[in-house]
Amino acid sequence: MDAKQWGVYVHIPFCRQKCFYCDFPSFAGRERYWEDYTGALCREIAVRGSYYRQLWGRPATIYLGGGTPSVLPAKLMAQLLTKLRQVFLADDKAEEFTVECNPGTVDEAYLAMLWEQGVNRLSFGVQSFDDELLRRIGRIHSGQQAAEAVEMAKKAGFTNLSLDLMYGLPGQTLAQLQASVKQALALSPKHISIYGLQLEEGTAFYRMQELGKLNLPEDEVAEAMYDYMTEYLPSQGYERYEISNFAQPGFASRHNLSYWQDVPYLGLGAAAHSYLDGQRWAALADLDHYMEAIRENRIPVEPEEPATAAIAMEEFCFLALRTARGISREKFRQKFGRELDDLYGTVMKELFAKKLLADDGRCIFLTSQGMKYGNLVFEKFLLDEQDF
Amino acid sequence: MQNKNIRNFSIIAHIDHGKSTIADRLIEYTGTLTKREMEAQVLDNMDLERERGITIKAQTVRLDYKGKDGQLYQLNLIDTPGHVDFTYEVSRSLAACEGALLVVDAAQGVEAQTLANVYMALENDLEIVPVINKIDLPSADPDRVKEEIENTIGLDTSNAVLASAKSGIGIEEILDSIVDYIPAPEGDENAPLQALIFDSFFDSYKGVIAHVRVKQGHIKKGMKLKMMATGKTFEVTDVGCFKPQPVDVGHLDVGEVGFVAGSLKDVRDVQVGDTITFADNPAAEPLPGYRGVTPMVYCGLYPVDSSDYDNLKDALEKMQINDAALVFEPETSVALGFGFRCGFLGLLHMDVIQERLEREYNLKLITTAPSVIYHVFKTDGTKVDVSNPSDLPPQTEIEHIEEPYVKATVIVPNDFVGAVMEISQDKRGEFKTMDYLDENRVMITYHIPLNEIIFDYFDRLKSATRGYASLDYELADYQESKLVKVDILLNGDPVDALSTIVHKDRAAGRGRQLASKLKEIIPQQMFEIPIQAAIGSKVIARENVRARRKDVLAKCYGGDISRKRKLLEKQKEGKKRMKAVGSVEVPQEAFMAILKID
Repeated sequence: MDAKQWGVYVHIPFCRQKCFYCDFPSFAGRERYWEDYTGALCREIAVRGSYYRQLWGRPATIYLGGGTPSVLPAKLMAQLLTKLRQVFLADDKAEEFTVECNPGTVDEAYLAMLWEQGVNRLSFGVQSFDDELLRRIGRIHSGQQAAEAVEMAKKAGFTNLSLDLMYGLPGQTLAQLQASVKQALALSPKHISIYGLQLEEGTAFYRMQELGKLNLPEDEVAEAMYDYMTEYLPSQGYERYEISNFAQPGFASRHNLSYWQDVPYLGLGAAAHSYLDGQRWAALADLDHYMEAIRENRIPVEPEEPATAAIAMEEFCFLALRTARGISREKFRQKFGRELDDLYGTVMKELFAKKLLADDGRCIFLTSQGMKYGNLVFEKFLLDEQDF
Repeated sequence: MQNKNIRNFSIIAHIDHGKSTIADRLIEYTGTLTKREMEAQVLDNMDLERERGITIKAQTVRLDYKGKDGQLYQLNLIDTPGHVDFTYEVSRSLAACEGALLVVDAAQGVEAQTLANVYMALENDLEIVPVINKIDLPSADPDRVKEEIENTIGLDTSNAVLASAKSGIGIEEILDSIVDYIPAPEGDENAPLQALIFDSFFDSYKGVIAHVRVKQGHIKKGMKLKMMATGKTFEVTDVGCFKPQPVDVGHLDVGEVGFVAGSLKDVRDVQVGDTITFADNPAAEPLPGYRGVTPMVYCGLYPVDSSDYDNLKDALEKMQINDAALVFEPETSVALGFGFRCGFLGLLHMDVIQERLEREYNLKLITTAPSVIYHVFKTDGTKVDVSNPSDLPPQTEIEHIEEPYVKATVIVPNDFVGAVMEISQDKRGEFKTMDYLDENRVMITYHIPLNEIIFDYFDRLKSATRGYASLDYELADYQESKLVKVDILLNGDPVDALSTIVHKDRAAGRGRQLASKLKEIIPQQMFEIPIQAAIGSKVIARENVRARRKDVLAKCYGGDISRKRKLLEKQKEGKKRMKAVGSVEVPQEAFMAILKID
């Protein structure tokens, strides 16, 4: 029974080296944890995974993210994928089964193993093809290696490939970015994600910025990079289906979209997030705590904020607005029994006037200017108490 | 109680020299409250007072003490507000006493504030008992401090009590000194009533409760009484003393200190300094020294959210019930909408009211920069008082302007005299006197515009003297000055709430500093925001807030939505502190920017 659309996220909190901009829950130098963590994860899959599999049927998407999933040795990765297939897919295939890979961690055999195990989509963290820049942001691979990894993946059988690129990096010029975008397109991926550098507390870059040692591009230059990509990629057949994501027709990531489209997902592993029956959950982020909970047969997750009607409506809106389609009035009505315009009429009018938001009668969605100032729009969809 | 067994006294001390601790010990030692009943500092009972270590409302407490001679004494401690804004209230509290304890920190010595209050006590003919506190500090130097007291005030310190309130040293000696050296009150029990009001507060059951000192006659429950200045009459429903909670004892006799209530609704009917007398057989004269409340500093208070206007009005009205010195009237600003022009005794009073409004009434407020009252003489021969810079008539209609000056007294170690002079000169101060208090400490007085005092004068003094400077000031007079109004334009539109009145010679500099400070404060927005400072139509400074180029949320790992939500909430919370002025979002602190320029 495939009654319900839902997704599975699996978190691998390991990296060979922590990138200088990264504040995601991931650790370098914890090789000694790899085996036990994989074991704990398999157990969580068997227990929590089986439960939701029985409840909701086969998940539409499975996504291994990190960290760097591909840092796991082939043996452990195979063990994990086998477990995932056993529990979630039986003999069937997932519609979309993605593994994030660092180009510096894979070889032909590894990629072939992934393909054998039923993985049908790879997302490569490329970030740039400029080696000097890659070194400067703490990546462990070269541009050449990224290109080779993509070729190897194709050889292994993969057709659905995605590349991540970053802009606004220290010392990065517009010309460098343009060159990287063109090199990425030359590899003809089906999907491209673009991320502007953000300085997050606790990262190496944050400290460097505080010390005045981070040579970030001027705002105007970062803006030019953004403008270039958001114009150039669509002109090359990559549709912008979400603020940061571009895909050839039919290759939008279903898993990525499910975050924005109110689709439930089960997060497995330390620090993984779940969204189940309208409630958001966070798994224990500390590896020892997580593994201890699994050993003691405790559920390793804790509820986040209680899901009030207001929170649910706010999130429904600011998440849906990240997608090109935007907020569907009909879906809002079905889910909440209220009219979008009753609740947000004033806000919408203000945003229409500022040309940040547009309306096609059925949906409201960000204009290209609105995507550029997304945060300013999203914030307006947080409700005040008197709005009820 | 017989007059000869009554002692009325207050405590004069600089902040942190231990006034509250001494009061606590006296209360404890006399058994007025047991240790368990005591809060850490009984007399400072407002949270804000405790946090800031200052007393805003005076408190009174009656202590019963058995003296060395075996007789029972009634000691009335009248605690005075401890800040320069409340000079008049202090003077009335002192007028209710026959003596005062002068508490001086054994390590730090006499401060400007203390000195001003001592002089005031001497003017009121009070007997002063010096108490050198904190004598058990390693840095204590009681002999030097005694010498300083003798040199600066001319007090005999041979009877000074050496104490450490914190360790309970010298408490009995203080009590005995009060009995021995402070004179008993005098007065005619049978004369028409004269009771001095030295404070009041509002109680939701009993109405306004007046703190009084009976100078002549007596008060009993049921008597019909009258306020001599306001003319208000009332019947006494409650009369008694503070222990320190009000205890209804049914009467107050001549010489005694306590409270009177009589279903009075409005604190303005019960003015500090007024005299209460019999309604039918009034005293011939009120007690001397009464004066109405005169605010010195004004500012605009506006709700960030305009729908809070009525809430702000309610809150101010409630606050006023307990604070006769707070005045306000509705005001409209083009930039800020509807709000109130509020008058305060001084900057601290303003700060305290604003903080209480935000804290106790949960209001988000925009405060405009404080202003003094200018006397504007117009060419048509009329005179207007202007407390809001945007109300200043056009330059062409102004004959001349006068601004208030104060006499400022600064005490510093002599190493810092140069710094004090430099700052005071820069603040348009006119040097008056310089006296050595001892070989190390100097008292300097300046005649200086109040306007300059409220603009960071004390902050600059403190930072230039590593915190050693102490300041006191009192209104001196009004003098003609060359003053102009500096306007600020955001995105081409004048913002009335940012206008400020400054001396002509400093206008250009101030305009430049203000524009550049605003540039720091106003966040980037989707468009570029020009900031201009202008006098009339002449632009004197120009800055630009660059446009924000983009604002996109980065990658979201593994569906962590809560984190995105927190970011948005933080962003929204920040906006709540902003006011949309035209199309520009202006943070609250921008309206106080003028105070933060250096």
